[in-house]
Amino acid sequence: MSRSQPVWLTEAVTVTALGDSLQQLWDRLMAGRSGIREVEHFPVDQYASRWAAAVPGLTPSGGRTGRSRLHPLLERLFDSMPAADADTVLFTATTKAGIDSLEPLCRGQAADTTGMVPSDVPRLISRRLGLTAEGVNINAACASSTIAVAKAASLIRTGRASSVLVCCMDVITDFVFSGFSALQALSRQPCRPFDRDRSGLTLGEGAAALQFMSAERAAGRNRKPLAAVVGWGMSNDATHITAPARDGCGLIRAIEKALHLSQLDPGQIGAVSAHGTGTVYNDAMELTAIRHVFGDRSLPVYSVKGAIGHTLGAAGGIEVALAAKALAEGMVPPTVGLLHPEPEAESLVSTRAQNLSGSTLLTTNSGFGGINAAIVLKSGSLP
Amino acid sequence: MSALISGLGWVTAAGMGGGKSLCPFAMTTDRLPPIDRKAVFDQPYKNFGRMDEYSRLGLAAIAFALRDAGLEQSAAQRDIGLVAQTEYGCLWTDIDYYNSALPDRGTMASPNLFAYTLPNCFMGEAAIRFGLTGDSYIVNEPSASGMAALGLAVEEIAAGEAQTMICGRCDLGRPPLLGSSGQVAAGALFFVLENAPVAQRSYYGTLERAAHGQILFEDERISDLTALARRCLQIKR
Repeated sequence: MSRSQPVWLTEAVTVTALGDSLQQLWDRLMAGRSGIREVEHFPVDQYASRWAAAVPGLTPSGGRTGRSRLHPLLERLFDSMPAADADTVLFTATTKAGIDSLEPLCRGQAADTTGMVPSDVPRLISRRLGLTAEGVNINAACASSTIAVAKAASLIRTGRASSVLVCCMDVITDFVFSGFSALQALSRQPCRPFDRDRSGLTLGEGAAALQFMSAERAAGRNRKPLAAVVGWGMSNDATHITAPARDGCGLIRAIEKALHLSQLDPGQIGAVSAHGTGTVYNDAMELTAIRHVFGDRSLPVYSVKGAIGHTLGAAGGIEVALAAKALAEGMVPPTVGLLHPEPEAESLVSTRAQNLSGSTLLTTNSGFGGINAAIVLKSGSLP
Repeated sequence: MSALISGLGWVTAAGMGGGKSLCPFAMTTDRLPPIDRKAVFDQPYKNFGRMDEYSRLGLAAIAFALRDAGLEQSAAQRDIGLVAQTEYGCLWTDIDYYNSALPDRGTMASPNLFAYTLPNCFMGEAAIRFGLTGDSYIVNEPSASGMAALGLAVEEIAAGEAQTMICGRCDLGRPPLLGSSGQVAAGALFFVLENAPVAQRSYYGTLERAAHGQILFEDERISDLTALARRCLQIKR
């Protein structure tokens, strides 16, 4: 194999319940604000929760055309995205794409089904951005965009591509809301990650676009690195399709693979952006895995899902963008929604922003199907 | 950059089996017959009964592929990865789920069906059944060729990120609700790829990633996974 190419994140844009830019998201997150509100775009009084972190002002789905809410979300993302070179390789990441178009179809009504299935999404985005190749969508539950970032980084590291764009997205739909309600996974109140009284997750919606380049190509385009992707790892729990392995075995393996590839010891990781959904079992599993990897060391750990909800397939990408921001600012955001930390989390999570010591950050996600993924980012200010 | 193919397995409207069996192989757009547990596993397997049809399809084809490679049985978990292409994924299950949710405004939605409304869930079932702890993800390609999934699997092996990968496609086809255009073949087809030969294991041949992302099998360009399976079977038989 040829010499490994450095992988730089050169652009990151986000659309979330806390605003249409990464800077807005960062500022509001650091101020401890939450985008979680009562759901207005479909009735929820029959479900276990009425809360979600919807993107404000997004055109409701359905209506006369039965068009998915995915389209206005993507338009918001495109509005703030810089142009991509035509030869850029595209990875999209979504779990359910425009599944809200399915409801009118199932009711026997007409619907615009463009974007209803995930395989439509790369074609839609590639054409919109004028890319030569159509790209592919990565679908791995709530680790979809984390894996897409890993695939992007791998292509650049091995010299197979020099410019890769990851676009991730998911919207809040009646379909997904009813399902998590049926699984009794929704928190009755806005979620409280790593809190001893947590009782479930709160859904969110959002999108992110992450431009990755080889260092050489970035220099040629006069792009500065926001951060470098230095390691990644994925694994499957092989225990259950909806519940995490209680001993954290899969997440531990994913983190260890990412550390191995990055040639870093756990002691060199400055902070952890956890999945932190607020469900009893996910957060407990993560704390077990973090303790296994980092021992009794006290390092900043945070979750953003108490502020922007669980954005499903977009979560990993949004969290990578925020992690790059955290590395640049030398701070990690507070865990919004946290009131009384789980005893195991007391020296890790905080209701306030924490200083980030060092230049590396680990970000992780886990999902249905037993999947776990971890990414190690390094500060962009370092060579 | 290369990977060896040590096994292949399939479930199609024409039949199901593995490469070293004498089952006929054809990928057609005909409707699949129901997949019976006894046709796949000798012993009862309680998870099988609760799975949706898409998961049974994927799990069965992976079982045949691993059996064909001599890798079905293992006392320990193994760092084997899974990557699969699908166009419609679990959309049939989505429709079943939504039809369970529509009456009574979602209060009767089936949690068991919802658990299978992600297209990667059959991979979780395969991971549980066969102790596979590598990565596992679905690739939705605009074309149904499966070549992007194959390329990513070969890439992982070449980059040293995996030693063994199971790669293929799994699709129930286009649901009638969406109209008849754009039909893709219903069926699942999986290959076992390895980074290096193992004594006493037979191989169909070698995949290589050539320039411009093309994939060669035994020096011939491959256009899709079905063509790759046919070529493997020509060599073996």
